[in-house]
Amino acid sequence: MTGAIRTIVAVLAAAAALYAMQRTTPVYSEITSPVRTNGQQGKRVETRNFAIGIAKVHLARSIDAPKSGRPHSYTTSGVWVIVEAAVQATNESLSLTAAEWLGPDGTRYSMSQRLSTLPGTPGTEQLEPGVPRPMLMIFEVPESQLSGATLLVSQSAYTPLSEEAAVAMTEVQTDDIRPVITIKRGGGTLPWVLEAE
Amino acid sequence: MAAERQSTLRQRLFAILVAGIGATAASAASFAMAVYDAANPEPIAAIDAGVQIDTGKWNVMLREAYLSPAPPTGIQPPTPTTFLTVEFDLENRSAASAYASTKLFTLDPPVEALPDFYLERDLWVAGPLNPGMRERMIATWELPAGQTPPHELSVMVGSQIYKRRDNLYGASGWFDREPAARVTLPVAARNESIAP
Repeated sequence: MTGAIRTIVAVLAAAAALYAMQRTTPVYSEITSPVRTNGQQGKRVETRNFAIGIAKVHLARSIDAPKSGRPHSYTTSGVWVIVEAAVQATNESLSLTAAEWLGPDGTRYSMSQRLSTLPGTPGTEQLEPGVPRPMLMIFEVPESQLSGATLLVSQSAYTPLSEEAAVAMTEVQTDDIRPVITIKRGGGTLPWVLEAE
Repeated sequence: MAAERQSTLRQRLFAILVAGIGATAASAASFAMAVYDAANPEPIAAIDAGVQIDTGKWNVMLREAYLSPAPPTGIQPPTPTTFLTVEFDLENRSAASAYASTKLFTLDPPVEALPDFYLERDLWVAGPLNPGMRERMIATWELPAGQTPPHELSVMVGSQIYKRRDNLYGASGWFDREPAARVTLPVAARNESIAP
């Protein structure tokens, strides 16, 4: 009798263990997900390979910027988020090519490809260690995803276990949405100039 | 003792036999169902233009088809080319920005070339579409020289399924499935010189 009970208990325990393991196995994207360094808007965030600080965030309904040399009005059904940041490589020359706006509900909005050729946007220049550079990141998001978002910046969206800065965007002025912001090529310290109407 | 052992052996044989018959019946039934499904495919729903189709990853609404001598960018190709152009609305239902897949539409009559997707807002090559932000899109297929442009176009809209773990790596992703719908569009000509 004891033997039978022991067998039943052993089988149940094995089934429970297998079920628990099956439910908790991390998926591939979790195993290879970027290594996150958390930070806050307005403060310097240091990952192993680079440092980033978010300076200003502007919101607009429309962006005027050149498109293949001609002026063009970039409209959106949501809101344009223009993030001005400073970045710096730590140990070796590198490029930051991936930026994502992680909404409060977990939806990911990648950096807009519509304006990815503007000077200073991720992927347009190489960073050298010790030389801080300005960086311009532009996202197109629905209005509901503005507050409580996190900005994710990394060297590449595809490299497994890459370093990623996760900046909590706590000071986005969601009531200050400009109708039009014009982005022009800058000449001085900043490679771009923003003009709000 | 001997009788007891013989009885156990008989019981065991019986159990193996029952299990064997059960397993055979189950695999035969499963195989028969697979064969039956393959022989009798579900008819693909015919949907009108202007009706939204839920394909899994996307909400698609086809609008119109026409022939054009230039892509939506307006940049004329160096040699005269006919672009089979389809306008549609596209909304990303997934949780991350994604490019429209070239496998989203299958045309009948078939066109060998892969489509190019353009964003109507910019009349420029479309980047990834953001979740929940519906956009007017333009797809173009470059017709090879000599191919007669069709008067009517049947567009098969593909569907996708989300798998939290795929069978190879255990990675999450969207996978193409059988078509979700078929939409028939008349092909208009935007330029008289290339009317079908």
